[in-house]
Amino acid sequence: MAALVRTLLRDKSHITAFGLRYVRTSSILQGQGEYIQVNQIPEKELMTREAIADRTAKLFFFEELVRGMMVTLGMIFKEPATINYPFEKGPLSPRFRGEHALRRYPSGEERCIACKLCEAICPAQAITIEAEERADGSRRTTRYDIDMTKCIYCGFCQEACPVDAIVEGPNFEYSTETHEELLYNKEKLLDNGDKWEPEIQANIRADYLYR
Amino acid sequence: MIIDKVHKTLRVIQENGGWLNSLLKLYRYDTLKSGRLVGTDDYGNRYYENKEYFMGRDRWVEYADKVRLDYDGSQIPAEWYGWMHHKTDIPPTLRPPPKYKWLAQHTENMTGTSRQYVPYDTVPPKIQPWIPGKK
Repeated sequence: MAALVRTLLRDKSHITAFGLRYVRTSSILQGQGEYIQVNQIPEKELMTREAIADRTAKLFFFEELVRGMMVTLGMIFKEPATINYPFEKGPLSPRFRGEHALRRYPSGEERCIACKLCEAICPAQAITIEAEERADGSRRTTRYDIDMTKCIYCGFCQEACPVDAIVEGPNFEYSTETHEELLYNKEKLLDNGDKWEPEIQANIRADYLYR
Repeated sequence: MIIDKVHKTLRVIQENGGWLNSLLKLYRYDTLKSGRLVGTDDYGNRYYENKEYFMGRDRWVEYADKVRLDYDGSQIPAEWYGWMHHKTDIPPTLRPPPKYKWLAQHTENMTGTSRQYVPYDTVPPKIQPWIPGKK
């Protein structure tokens, strides 16, 4: 390219014919082929006695390896940036939607009145409810099944519930080895509620301004 | 800086009760830390806090000695769950959790054991199967 430009510049007839309108004189065009060596070590110095000694020393003392291991050693004394689960736990929101639970009133009476709003709103259709009149005349569920493998944890069921019976509790450590263990029935959900009630209450209290 | 680290390590070892106990804790809990004992729950888990560590590492639990190496994240009961997960700064020792007679005992995740949850129908079947040869 530079050679081409030089030829153009040397071609006097070309310049006289068109003037300098078509060939702009910039710094690139004015250069006469000089260049600057941007590499740090000029080639001729690489074979000096010191350079050869330096390279040999680096080779014999594994300089790159030692440097890398020093970085590793330094990281040992640093405070780790990870948490040591299960001894340490990450922060969690009171609104966290985890394992489902059916709650009770403080008297021990179950809250669910089988209105089936949760079943209706569930986008994954994971909830199955059957209701019957109980001996004392109150309307209760006989079947309350949640397929936890269908559930998408959207939280619509707890939003739909008029009596705060079905909630998504804080627990997320309920992974199982088989599929069938995740097909929760009413007893399992009520048992979850009995186990997690203190924490469910604390979550509801923490969020009372937005409910 | 290195002298400071060494000094801190020696202090943590001393607060954990000597070299042997420290090695034992390092083996069980994978890390050696020292902090204030905030409380103990009904199942023997001990809860510690030390605000010198960053959030997430500043609260930790030492699972009950009886579980040995079979510790699990699901062994933390509901009372301590919120404090452990930084939802609240008030441990249940300061604000007692609600007590009802119907509250259940906390159980860890039982999957893979003989006490695992097995689903069953809570209603009688609506369809009666036909059994051949039976009138």
